[in-house]
Amino acid sequence: MWQQVKQALADSTAHFLTVLAKLLPGLAALIVAVLMSVVLAWILAVFARRLLASLRFDERLGRWGFASLAGWSPQNSPTILVSRSLAALVVVSGFLIGVAAFDFEWTYWFVQAIFAYIPNVVAAFVILLVGNIIARFLARSVLIGAVNLNLQYARFLSIGVKWLVIVLAVAMALEHLRIAPGVVQLAFGILFGGIVLSMALAVGLGSKDFVTKSLERDAKKAANELRVSKSVGVDPLRHL
Amino acid sequence: METDVTPQPVQEPVESVDLVVSILADFDSDAIAKTYQELRALPGPLRIAVLENDQRERAEPVSSGAAVRSEDQKNAVVFQVSSPSAKPDGNPTGVSRLSEAYRSVFAAAAQLQARGCCVMASKQESEKPGWIWQLAQPLFDKKVDLVLPHYARRKFEGLLNNSIVAPLMRALYGKRVNNPMGPDIAVSQRLIQAMEARAGANGNRRHPLASLTSTALCENLQVAEVHFGARIYPPTDWTAMSSVLMDVLSPVFLDVERNAPCWQRARASAALPSFGEPRHVAEDKSDLDVARMIESFQLGNRELLEIWGLVLPPATLFDLRKLAHPPADRFRMSDELWVRIVYDFALAHRLGTISRDHLLRSLTPLYLGWAASYAQDLKDAGAASPEQSLERLSLAYEAGKSYLVSRWRWPDRFNP
Repeated sequence: MWQQVKQALADSTAHFLTVLAKLLPGLAALIVAVLMSVVLAWILAVFARRLLASLRFDERLGRWGFASLAGWSPQNSPTILVSRSLAALVVVSGFLIGVAAFDFEWTYWFVQAIFAYIPNVVAAFVILLVGNIIARFLARSVLIGAVNLNLQYARFLSIGVKWLVIVLAVAMALEHLRIAPGVVQLAFGILFGGIVLSMALAVGLGSKDFVTKSLERDAKKAANELRVSKSVGVDPLRHL
Repeated sequence: METDVTPQPVQEPVESVDLVVSILADFDSDAIAKTYQELRALPGPLRIAVLENDQRERAEPVSSGAAVRSEDQKNAVVFQVSSPSAKPDGNPTGVSRLSEAYRSVFAAAAQLQARGCCVMASKQESEKPGWIWQLAQPLFDKKVDLVLPHYARRKFEGLLNNSIVAPLMRALYGKRVNNPMGPDIAVSQRLIQAMEARAGANGNRRHPLASLTSTALCENLQVAEVHFGARIYPPTDWTAMSSVLMDVLSPVFLDVERNAPCWQRARASAALPSFGEPRHVAEDKSDLDVARMIESFQLGNRELLEIWGLVLPPATLFDLRKLAHPPADRFRMSDELWVRIVYDFALAHRLGTISRDHLLRSLTPLYLGWAASYAQDLKDAGAASPEQSLERLSLAYEAGKSYLVSRWRWPDRFNP
């Protein structure tokens, strides 16, 4: 009996050691891959930081309307955020390559699935980035236009337009990431419709007087046209 | 009388003329007939080509035309020549369209080897006979290269010109030009060639209205002014104010950028030679709605500070914040502050700090703030003050030029 137990223990130890021995090359490869990726990541991060600093990336980002990005960045510097993100991406890639070195079927499929998913992540990221840029540009255009039209709710309009575009971009990005597509569609419909409805209500109620005055002005315009075309109209101000 | 002056087309190839005249203003047939009459009455042997802007006349090439011969050769010969472009419509913000029309007039003048050309683009309140020749005469008699109008003005007319374009030109190029963008102008062949050469050298076309005066001054050509009566301005469209600003200031700032090596050398300012007698017009008694302009400024001061913060230095923003809450009757924007704002916007236009469209449109509330302050100043100071007030502003532009030059050369290092 004791002999059988000993034999079983010896067999399982031998099996464990065999498996461990089989794992060792993969483990070594993983460690080497991670170490190499860390070195590469460090070099890339330094290069990216210097390049972005020479391009005055932080300052430009502020001008392009992404000043708030500094608040999310380490040491309030988007340059450091970008360089560290780049480094993290390289380290994660190195880790995945190292994992693929294990001679197991499941690691192979796991890594392959992750790499196959990367284009979706990249596309989603690009959509988010472009959406953000468009949202900020449109928000600024609407803000300036509304202020020049003397609309007191200019800021509200601008924020509404910005969030409309951002919601659209996020929904498209999530669609690309294939994360709960049904929920995303439903949530997008509710959010988008909600923003449009609230803006329409707010602007409609807020500009009731403005619209009335505009219509009255239009009605009077024809009658005044002849008088205005004379040397001086009712309003003596002439800009051009 | 009209049958006498209406041209009887006699087909004759036109190879060269002395003067090309283009009427871009919306004249009626009587006024056009009168213009022909005046031109025909000019002393010979002057050969004048009048560009016909009507689309219906465009079938004829520029090189051929219809001559309206006078009975003897003592008087000028007037030709009708088809213009390469149609007359611009009356859109008050159609500066770019007007610019195309000027370009085609210059092209026609070059093609017809004219010694000069004369463009009439505005109507005057009291049309004085012979004013086309008043504009064109210095080209021939005094060898002047650019003749600009000096309109008699009411205190609230031509504010965009008076607050930005004219004093900026004066400070930058050192000549006291009253209406650098015309629009009624006479241009010599030499200046047209200089414009073409500059356009060729830069590889792009310049905005003729914005570039004429600066080109003439940078090339050391002769510039003079002719006194005219008050011109009829298009009525203010308050909903399109930002488009007007963009339409006018974009080519002006672009021109400032291109001529930087030239204007950085100029110091102080000198008056231009002028012809004719200054004319005076009765001031308008209508009330100005200053409250609306102050309200626009305050709204901008509340909502656009974030955008202005990308363009204006902290000291200017601080001064603007101080203007946020004074009562309407005590609202004043100092000339120095306004000048710094204009210079900083010109610099931001060059640096591309933000989209140029956003930049120039966001200037609108500031401009209305200045206009309101100017109106308040005049209300306090009385009727004699518009000229003094604008002269003070021009001097502030001249005094602030060193600020512009410093920021232009070292935009990062010099940021007060």
